[in-house]
Amino acid sequence: MKNTHIQTTVDDHRIAKLAAFAIALHMVEAVIPSPLPGVKPGIANIVTLYVLYQYGFATAAWVSILRVFASSLLLGQFLSPTFILSLSGAVVSLAVLWLAMHLPKRYFGAVSLSILAAFGHIAGQLLLVRFWLIPHAGVAYLIPVFALAALFFGLINGLITAKLLYNKR
Amino acid sequence: MRYLLLLLTILLTGCFKEPLYHSQSYVFGTLVDISIYGETDEHARFLANHILEDFQKLHHQLHAWKPVSQNKLSELGQLNAAFQQANSPTAISPALAAMLADATELSIKSNGLFNPAIGHLISTWGFQRDEFTAIAVDAAAVKNLVHAQPRMTDIVIKDNAAYSTNPTVKLDLGGYAKGYALDIAVAYLRKEHVKNALINIGGNIIALGKHGDSPWRVGVQHPRQPTAIATLALADGWAVGTSGDYQRYFMLNGKRYCHIIDPRTGYPVGHAQSVTVLVPPQPFNQSQAGVLSDVASKPIFIETPENRSKAAQALGIENFMVIDDKAHIFVSKNMVNKLNWLTPNVQFTTLP
Amino acid sequence: MFNLPRYLKLLNLTSLNPKLFNPKLFSPKLFNPKLFNPKLITQHVLFGDWLVLVAGVFCVLYLFQTLWSGEHAAKVQIRLSDKIYATYSLNQQREVHVHGKLGDAVIVIAQGKARFSKSPCTTQYCVHQGWLSHAGQAAICLPNQISLELIGDAKPYDSLNY
Repeated sequence: MKNTHIQTTVDDHRIAKLAAFAIALHMVEAVIPSPLPGVKPGIANIVTLYVLYQYGFATAAWVSILRVFASSLLLGQFLSPTFILSLSGAVVSLAVLWLAMHLPKRYFGAVSLSILAAFGHIAGQLLLVRFWLIPHAGVAYLIPVFALAALFFGLINGLITAKLLYNKR
Repeated sequence: MRYLLLLLTILLTGCFKEPLYHSQSYVFGTLVDISIYGETDEHARFLANHILEDFQKLHHQLHAWKPVSQNKLSELGQLNAAFQQANSPTAISPALAAMLADATELSIKSNGLFNPAIGHLISTWGFQRDEFTAIAVDAAAVKNLVHAQPRMTDIVIKDNAAYSTNPTVKLDLGGYAKGYALDIAVAYLRKEHVKNALINIGGNIIALGKHGDSPWRVGVQHPRQPTAIATLALADGWAVGTSGDYQRYFMLNGKRYCHIIDPRTGYPVGHAQSVTVLVPPQPFNQSQAGVLSDVASKPIFIETPENRSKAAQALGIENFMVIDDKAHIFVSKNMVNKLNWLTPNVQFTTLP
Repeated sequence: MFNLPRYLKLLNLTSLNPKLFNPKLFSPKLFNPKLFNPKLITQHVLFGDWLVLVAGVFCVLYLFQTLWSGEHAAKVQIRLSDKIYATYSLNQQREVHVHGKLGDAVIVIAQGKARFSKSPCTTQYCVHQGWLSHAGQAAICLPNQISLELIGDAKPYDSLNY
């Protein structure tokens, strides 16, 4: 067998490190019970947002998607509805971040991006739920609850990220 | 442990159904809704069935045009036939005699706008049928009937026998019977010591007591949409009635012809979409709330816009609402704060 | 450049080196209660952030108001004469055929709405009522003795005057 030694760059190491950190946070969160299925603090997103600021969108996207795949593998949820939900949430929130990152940094900090991405996340998930998983109009009753959670945890995660970025300066 | 008990109690209170009995039937040629609160299901069902039977009897007694059984006309139908043939006095039941006396008094008070004697006009327009189709009316027949001026005062009642001095008189108690039925139902329920009930006969509603801790709430139908335009609370003994052009009508050449006919012209009224009246309990020696809620909306509907308030006053109505043919809403002063509008930004004019 | 198989190999998590995590990022200082000093927190909230926050609050309030108002009808109750013929959830696409006094009527249920689509009566008032979409709304076919009513959590009134 030929030696297939993969040449890794510094970027690769960095992404792997950060992704691993995000996965770890996701694991910690998985242990904490939530009052309502789907309502989670989403603390792994702090890593995504932090990475966005420090290393750019591409890195953040990698970290986020890798985190979704790897944590689902670890939790034994790979390709399950939970995984699909997680992935759809991640994709939409990344799209929102990609747009929002162009907002003037003088006025819009980590808190804005975090809240916007959180709403994007629940939007992606609710669309999937409404049109595929549970096509029931009763899902409408969940929307305000999720929106409230997105606002609340988006704010907190944004504050934590802002603090971390500030400390890092 | 305490909190668990508290939680349990809270959960359990949600499990108990409120003691509300509700039945819906097609009686009296229309939809009848009876709600009784605070009685056992069994007793409520017994009461409701009794009321429905009474309604059925009244329906048979007062049907203006249909033979109610094998070619046998209703009591009213027979009386009408006798009027037409100018026979000698026909015997009538005391109840019918009382009804006719009451209706005559109301007709006089309303200056003839409430006129149950114009049955022939109503039938000429095709409204004495179960289903209405567009008809090109016989204008000459209408003119003759208006000219003949059939009136309640043409009827003489003595010793429970009646005859008419005018053969064109045909009684149609369609604008009176529903209200009368509401009153007898309430009288029956009060006799049976029932404290809380709500009865709806074809849209005419009377209330008894309350719905538990809050008053009975009634929705008022929008004349052109399948929703309620407003709600109002009906206190003990209060009744509400609406005359509208949207339940019994036909369209001909783009024009709407409704079943409310102006006795002075012989033609259906076209300048109003609906009139709603709210009536408080009345003293026992006068027309009762149910009857008034049925009767009083018609004169206000028929009268010209500038005389509507006068028409209401003539029958002692202080709470009324008019929606005219251009969908403008007019509300009497006393009724303004009784209405809870269900659509935002409702414009209305307050009448003095 | 970014080659997926390479990363999956790099993330050989069974031999995850704890040293990869920078513990300083999660130092005890982060959870210092003094940090919940409002001034310290709000220094990170920029002007645009406040805008987004306020917009978010309005959004949440609006969502609660519209979706939790209870006007949301969940079921349609079909009555035939004096009995309840059937109760259906509005969350389906369905055609219901009911045989009334005059003949067959067709009731259509679509996502969140219901209506009479065909009726044997001559006046067709019931069909002209159109789509019912809010709790409390009703359509009645008197001659055929069939009625539709939308049932939701909060009925705004006990009975309808018409």
